Parts: sequence; C-alpha cells; structure tokens
Amino acid sequence: MATGFFTDTTLCIGCKACEVACKQWNELPSDGFAFSGNSYDNTVELSGTTWRHVAFVEQTMPTEDGVANRWLMSSDVCKHCTNAGCMEACPTGAIIRNEYDSVFIQPDVCNGCGYCVVSCPFGVVDLIERFDPEGTHYNLASLSEERVEEQKTALQGHGGVAGKCTLCYDRQKLGFVPACAKACPTESIQFGNIDELRERARARVETLTKRGIHAELYGADDAGGGVGPLNAFFLLTDRPEAYNLPAEPVLPSTRQPAGYTAAAVTALGLAIAGWMIFRNA
Amino acid sequence: MRSIPSPDDAFIGAASRNGEQRATIPTYYDHPMLKWPDWDWNVVTYLFLGGIMGGLGLIQMLARPELESERKLKRTVRVTSFVLAAANPAVLVTHLGRPERFLNMLRIMKFKSPMSLGTWGLVFYSGAAGANVIRELAVGGTLPRWMRFFAPGLMTPVQALLGAFTAGYTGVLLSSTANPFWGSGKRHIPAMSVCSGLASACALSSLLCTLEGNTEPLQRLERLEMVAGAAELFILTDFERRHPDYTKPFFKGKRGEKLRTYTMAAGTLGPIALNVLGSMFNLPKPVDALRVTAASILTLAGGYVLRESLIAAGKASARDPQAAFRQPK
Ligand code: SF4
Ligand code: SF4
Ligand code: SF4
Repeated sequence: MATGFFTDTTLCIGCKACEVACKQWNELPSDGFAFSGNSYDNTVELSGTTWRHVAFVEQTMPTEDGVANRWLMSSDVCKHCTNAGCMEACPTGAIIRNEYDSVFIQPDVCNGCGYCVVSCPFGVVDLIERFDPEGTHYNLASLSEERVEEQKTALQGHGGVAGKCTLCYDRQKLGFVPACAKACPTESIQFGNIDELRERARARVETLTKRGIHAELYGADDAGGGVGPLNAFFLLTDRPEAYNLPAEPVLPSTRQPAGYTAAAVTALGLAIAGWMIFRNA
Repeated sequence: MRSIPSPDDAFIGAASRNGEQRATIPTYYDHPMLKWPDWDWNVVTYLFLGGIMGGLGLIQMLARPELESERKLKRTVRVTSFVLAAANPAVLVTHLGRPERFLNMLRIMKFKSPMSLGTWGLVFYSGAAGANVIRELAVGGTLPRWMRFFAPGLMTPVQALLGAFTAGYTGVLLSSTANPFWGSGKRHIPAMSVCSGLASACALSSLLCTLEGNTEPLQRLERLEMVAGAAELFILTDFERRHPDYTKPFFKGKRGEKLRTYTMAAGTLGPIALNVLGSMFNLPKPVDALRVTAASILTLAGGYVLRESLIAAGKASARDPQAAFRQPK
C-alpha cells in the first residue's frame, strides 16, 4: 500500500514537535547550536541528520488601517517522489522504493559518493558528516562509550553516508504512525494512504477557498519536470518559493539524452578528424 | 474577522530585507534551496583522468602499426591507458573513504545513473586496455607469443569506443543533475569534456613520445590536439553566449579569471600557438623538445583547471536560490 504525508501548513503552529520526535525516534545526532536570525527558524534546512524542518515565513503588507502581518509555518520533509532523482542517480542501488512506496536509503549499501545529493531537485538528501572523534559536530560527551562506538558503526567509521527521511519505515513495519505525524498536535502532518490523503487535501482546499483563504496543493498531482506526484505533498498559502520549495522542479535524468548525444556527436567528429590527420599526413 | 490576504506582489516576502524582492521570485531568507556536493580535488582528478583515458582510447586506435614510430606510440599509449584505468578507482577511494566502498558500485548496473554506467565503463575499459597491453607484450616477445590470442584485434576499436564513453560520461555526470549551472550545460559540458579529454590525452602522448625520443608521431598528435583544443574553446564560448545567467559562477569573478587564464588562454591558445610555431620553424631538437613539453604541460594544466572550475561553479550555483528556482529548460 502506498502511504505518505499530507502536510497542511495552514494548521501548523511552529511548535517543532515534529522535528524533535523525528530526531528522537531515529536517534539522529544534534546539528550543533546556532542562531540564524531568520524568524524562529534555527534549524535552517533539511540535512543528513535533520529530516523534518519547520520553516517560518514572516510577511507584512501595508494596508489602509496599518500593517497586515502573517506568519506562515511549514514542516518540510523528503517528498518521496514518484520519480525520485536521488534514487535514479544512486550508483550502488542503496536507494530503493519500499513496499510502502517510499524512497528509502539502505545505509549499509551506501558508499557516500554524494551523487544523490546533487540529483535531488528539492535539495533534501545530504551526506551525514564524516565521523570526526575530535569534532564538535556530534555531542559525544553526552554519550556513553558504548554509544560512541555505536555511532561510529552507524556512520561507517569514517566516510559518511547519505541520510534523509525514511517515512519511518521501521515504525510502519510495526504498524505505527511515523514519529512526526504522531507528535504533531494540530494534525498539520497527516499520515495515511496516499489516495485518501489526496482526497482529504482537495476537500481542505475547497473549505479554505470558501472561507476566502488562498490555498494551493503542492505535489498532490504531478509536480512537473518529470518528477511526478509526491508521496509527501503540501497545502500552501503562498508561492512555493516562499517556503523554499521549487515551483518547477526538474528530474535530472531528463537531461541525459541531450548529454549523451552531445558527447557522442563530439567524439565522432573528433574521431573523424583524427582519422584524417593520421591517414593523410 | 479579516481573512488572510491572498499572495500577491504587494506582500513583502520573508527575504525582502531590501524591500523589492517581489519583483523577482521570493526566496526563503535567500537560503540555498539545493545542496552541493562535498567533492574535492579527488573527484576533480577522477574526472580529469577519466577524460585522458578516454582520449588515449582513440589515439591507440589511430596509431598505425605498420609504421615503426607509431607502433611505439601505440604501445606507450596502451600501457599508459591501462595504468591510468587501474589508478583511477584508487583516486575515487580517497573520496569514498574505504576501498570496499568502490565495490558497492559493482553490485548493480543502472542505465539511469551516469555514475553507475561510468564506473562500469571504467571497469570494461580497464579490461580492454589490459587485453591490449597483453597483446603488445606478446607481440613484443615479453610474454609468450601465443598469448596474443587472448586479445583479438577487435579489442582496439572496443577500447576506443569505451574511451569515448568514459570521456563523455565525465561530463554527463555533472550535466544530468539538479544543479542549475551544470543543467544549463546539458549539451556543452559533455561535449567540452570529450574535447578536453582528447586534447589532454594528445598532450600526455606527446610528452611521453618526447621522453622516449620518438619524435616522428609528434606532428600528428599536435594537430589532433589543436583540433580538440579549438573545439573546446568554441564550445566554451558558445556556452557563455547561450547561458549568460546560469554560467556566471563559471565565467565571471575570480573563478572565471582562473578559467580564462589557465584553460582558455594558457591551456588552449598557448599550446596552439606553440604547435603552430613548431610546424613553421625547424627548431633544433633540444629546443623542440622543450617546446613540446611546455605545450603539453599547459594543455594538461588547462584540462585540470577546467574540471576544477566546473565543480567549483556547480557548488556556487547550488547556493543561489534564484538560479535554482528557475531551472534551465
Ligand atoms: S525529495 Fe529528493 S531525497 Fe526525497 S525522494 Fe525526492 S529526490 Fe529523493
Ligand atoms: S551517497 Fe549513498 S545513497 Fe547517495 S548516491 Fe551515493 S551510494 Fe547512493
Ligand atoms: S509538530 Fe505539527 S504543528 Fe508542530 S511544527 Fe511540526 S507540523 Fe507544525
């Protein structure tokens, strides 16, 4: 059965319970402590060790009676694309589509080449930083010696592997709802059968439109550029770019035919030139 | 209750610290939308050597065994190509961290993944180059004569074809990604990779011929190098003309200066000038050897800087959300 997320950003209150639940369940290390200065967003972006990221978009508009403010919040996640750039690019076959139709990285197969990182049209997947026992990146002081060893094994000693949302593959296998959806107090993150979610999302858009609120779905149908529908899709109230989502993603492999053709034509031309030079000189 | 206004250009977006953002696409605090690779000198070298290997594949086919001097060239090129093909995985391993990790790529062959296909191309290329080296050694008498049947003559065009693929893939690897700069070069980057690979391979062969004192084939190698270099220069110029926006991180600023100096001027025009000079005047032998050496080193350095700039500009491009939001068609 294909499952997925419907993230309804109109319900999000920016509590970041989803981020915390994800880190806790998946035992992801901390990303350090930094102050971004961008509204309440100190998480900043998805990364190899941050699989939910709550964006805070503060907007103001002058009106006759002063200033209208709004604060958009949206919990971003891997989109689990129908045609996933990361999966197509992975040379080891580490990235697979599992029985829930989600895109899953097998950490023991990944070799850390980083090709998925440049092939995700949404900038989601990233390499987990190489293990550096001296580094401050992982707060090892708080871990027992045993756990330090475990961390080393998980990160394959040194060399790093790619990391992103698994759609809580392990929890789904146990019949549980993914950690973020379970923790979300407002049902901004809804988990379930992807077809049901799409229907629910369309109904929600209708309700909001009736109330005079602009609402659009992102990725419920074809996301464009060959990417296809997203198994984790969103309801937005502004242009996708305001949330750091591309309005027109492009599936990288659609660029291959042109590339191989150009290379072949060039090689053929040079081979003919070479043949002429070596035969006639 | 006042309803939430719908998005329009009057709304000042999150990134509008300068107040005029909405004329362009809004961004999220100007934070990058895409990620960039941690690729360093090792991946640059991997692609650079891949290009040279590809070019050597063509040269070993072009050299005519009937001529003593070109028979020597063929032999040198084959041995060199095999050594490079054997060394290249080691270069990649310095990026992957542990040798076994290279083997993970050999558990599967994926036609949709240039990285996967390229690795297999490299493996098959090593096989063909190895077979051709065995043939050389068997014909030359180092190995028993019967061993030349291990490597039928068919392996010569096979190595050339695999070479063309290897050189081309070093470009497709970059151009078929989600990166706006690399994506804008979906034709140009693979084409220039092939040209640069062949020019560098000619330069390396010339260098080796000079070292061996085998000056006979130099003129032909230089001519081929000039053709490849001129084609590369044309493709680079056309790339900038067609995509002035996406190629800014590549052609503009410090990085652009470096590219123009080392790749376009010193690495392409320089050797062309030196080679023209060589064919016009009959230079005394030691001076000519110096000329060939200088031209070859310039070409090789230019080829390396080209790959380095391609990767560095890709990283810079990924940091630009405006480029990422307007993916090239
Ligand atoms: S959003 Fe990126 S990482 Fe997630 S499935 Fe799609 S391509 Fe892969
Ligand atoms: S880093 Fe790992 S998951 Fe990503 S493409 Fe390479 S092998 Fe595949
Ligand atoms: S848990 Fe729900 S409400 Fe809280 S930040 Fe995440 S998506 Fe928003």
